[in-house]
Amino acid sequence: MNSIGFLLPIAIGVAAVFLGFFLWAAKSGQFDDLDDPPERMLKDD
Amino acid sequence: MAPRGFRFFPTAGERPFGHISSMKAGPPHSGEPLGAAEAASASVSPAEAAGEAACPHCGTAVEGTTNAFCCAGCEMADAIIRGAGLERYYADREQPAPRPEPLAGGWNAVPLEVDPNTGQCVMRFSIDGLRCASCVWVTENVLGRTIGVSDAIVSYATGRATLRFDPGKVTLGELAGRIAALGYQPRLLGEESAPDCDLLLRLGVASFAAMNVMMMSGALYLGWFGGMEARFVSLFQWVSLVLATPVALWSAAPFFVGAWTGLRERVLHMDVPIAIAVTVLYAHGLVGTFGGFDTYLDSLTMLVALLLAGRMLESRGRRRASEAAVTLAASVPMTARRVTDGASIETVASSDLQPGDEVAVGAGEELPSDGVVASGNGSLRVALLTGESEPIQAAPGDRVWAGTVLVDGSLVISVTAAAEDTVISRMADDLRAAADQGVAPSSTDRIAPWFTGITLAVAVATFVGWWMAAGVGTAMSTMIAVLVVACPCALALSRPLAATAGLGAAARRGLLMRSADALLALAAVDTVVLDKTGTVTAGALDVVSASDADLRVAAGLERFSRHPVALAVVREAVSRGIPLPEATDVRETPGVGMSGMVDGVSWMLRSGGAGLVVLEGADGHRGIIRLGDRLRVDSRAAVARLRSLDLSVSMLTGDHLEAARRVADASGVAPADVEAGVPADEKPACIRAMQAAGSVVLFAGDGLNDGPALAIADVGVAMGTGAASSVLAADGVLAVGSVGPLAVGVAAARACRRAVRGNQVRSIIYNVMAVSLAAAGFVNPLVAAVLMPLSSAMVVWGASRVERQVSAWEGAS
Repeated sequence: MNSIGFLLPIAIGVAAVFLGFFLWAAKSGQFDDLDDPPERMLKDD
Repeated sequence: MAPRGFRFFPTAGERPFGHISSMKAGPPHSGEPLGAAEAASASVSPAEAAGEAACPHCGTAVEGTTNAFCCAGCEMADAIIRGAGLERYYADREQPAPRPEPLAGGWNAVPLEVDPNTGQCVMRFSIDGLRCASCVWVTENVLGRTIGVSDAIVSYATGRATLRFDPGKVTLGELAGRIAALGYQPRLLGEESAPDCDLLLRLGVASFAAMNVMMMSGALYLGWFGGMEARFVSLFQWVSLVLATPVALWSAAPFFVGAWTGLRERVLHMDVPIAIAVTVLYAHGLVGTFGGFDTYLDSLTMLVALLLAGRMLESRGRRRASEAAVTLAASVPMTARRVTDGASIETVASSDLQPGDEVAVGAGEELPSDGVVASGNGSLRVALLTGESEPIQAAPGDRVWAGTVLVDGSLVISVTAAAEDTVISRMADDLRAAADQGVAPSSTDRIAPWFTGITLAVAVATFVGWWMAAGVGTAMSTMIAVLVVACPCALALSRPLAATAGLGAAARRGLLMRSADALLALAAVDTVVLDKTGTVTAGALDVVSASDADLRVAAGLERFSRHPVALAVVREAVSRGIPLPEATDVRETPGVGMSGMVDGVSWMLRSGGAGLVVLEGADGHRGIIRLGDRLRVDSRAAVARLRSLDLSVSMLTGDHLEAARRVADASGVAPADVEAGVPADEKPACIRAMQAAGSVVLFAGDGLNDGPALAIADVGVAMGTGAASSVLAADGVLAVGSVGPLAVGVAAARACRRAVRGNQVRSIIYNVMAVSLAAAGFVNPLVAAVLMPLSSAMVVWGASRVERQVSAWEGAS
């Protein structure tokens, strides 16, 4: 059970990194337009 | 070439020769230049023998052997596209471009926020008429290759352009002008997505915490059964507390702010019980973690995450109203040319104009202020104010308004009101106020005070009861259990979820309701009153009858004219599939008509009185083109569908009885339900009378004079193409030029009302049961963790049925 002592910080740390990515993405406007990027991909340019 | 040629035939077949086609103008042919064989076999035109060609830009058929442009606008669009090196557009596109229309002005008056470091500014606006991926590609690249623009993105899905440009090198007006020159219509947007982003961040943090706290709690609950060392229990609790802290203090802040604002105004709305629950849960968690007993922190984080998700759905629906305000404010030009001492002209800011000043306005310009015409003549387009498409004549002594466009002529205006005092700025202010006010008390908010009161009373009673029976400790924990399970999570979610589903279902079908309240009001309607002009009918000048031969000659003469009659004639010729002939020696005499040579014969086109245009040929031929207001394509079907919903449909018009009867017959409104000859200022009284008789009235109309009637009706729906003032007064807007979506809108509203009521009933039943269990002492953190998401899932299920019910209704009718 003592492994919890370091597994727990790792688990939460990894989750926190993903939260950080999410906050960065939201702030940089990546969720402002969810409909267009799939269409844009189909245009070769 | 094969598939394009293939498409050509069915399209042409739908519009056989002489068929009186709909208002929906648009080139009947594919954009590809046609080979002679194809043209001959299609045989839609009286002149196919001459060899048929199409306008290379918009695909309108024109006579001649080469592909001549149908109008100067198309030629310009082609020059822009080729000038930017984007010829590929013509090969790639799936549909021909729309015919370019003149740009409604005011773009240069839009305030820009310039970044002081880069000298650039970012502007978002929407573009109408994008039909395919190639349209997006060409607009994006034309904009991107304009000098001064560093970045241009056009979104196909949302129809929005985002531009980064240097306002010192290129003005917004020039950029908008280029889009309009291509045949697409740029439109200003008012909204920015900032508040949404804030909620999204809060939701992100809350969801992250909820998942991780749930993981801790899972371990703790298992520990109950399997046994767990005290130090691990304590570790998990401490970690949960650390994770829950930002959720309680930061993510949940909007609920505290809402509750506080409500309390200061002495209203108990839904945020109050939520704020109480969050406070109690967090305080209990804090004490529990230090004191070493079980906490509800998992319920706290889950609750906040779910409620934030509901709130975000709500805020998405609330964006549209401010759009029109910006468009209005932007239609007044920034500068005016002031005439001083009757001779010299100086350029001043429009906002500096004083009543009594005289300003000069030239053709094609917007008026900078309200005023009276001092000298000059011209025709004014006042569509912004009245929705009337035909320009009105302005002569000395006439009143004129800021933001209207002088189509031709020139005027000197004596200013009566400038800047904020103009009619149009007052309209914009009203609209902004309406958009800000937005949050009307809803049925959920009416339940909230009762709900909060009863919960608090039950909590106190529980505490007192258990205190007598089992002492303070048990009494405290039972009371907290009551407050926890009583948190109206499902109740608070029931309306936003159902309303979002209902608003979305209506919006996808062309009816944009301003708010959830407006949508729910629509569900109660039992009488539909339709305005005639511009609502049941198209409201625009249109060719009612003309022979194809006359129309062909007239369209040739008027091909390059911007006059409304000319536009109507050319539109009709295009929709009948008549190639536009070449006219030479065309001369336009303002106020008299057009003359020119077609097929070697000299023709004269002149007005023949109200709604009549007379075509006279040098060879003695005399033809008459009748113009008028035509029934919208699907009005008849729309009336029938409204009837099928047990709504009584009537028509209200200022027009005389005979014209009203004719339209009523054609649209299927019973003659008894026609109120004709009602002047504009009596329409509200008419609606009041119906309301006094017990009807709940939906009024659909357009135009400046419909504003009061729209406001008085229980639900007012304006035509999106109508006057800005009517859009402002209305609870909803028809995004498509037809009354068709009204019926399905009512169906969506009814489905939404059923869902809201069902959800409210379900969540109240849930709460009564859960509170009883808690008061009896049966609820512990594990039970709470299971019960709360269950109640929310129930509400989501209720809302998810709205779209299905609307589709089912559509399928059935």
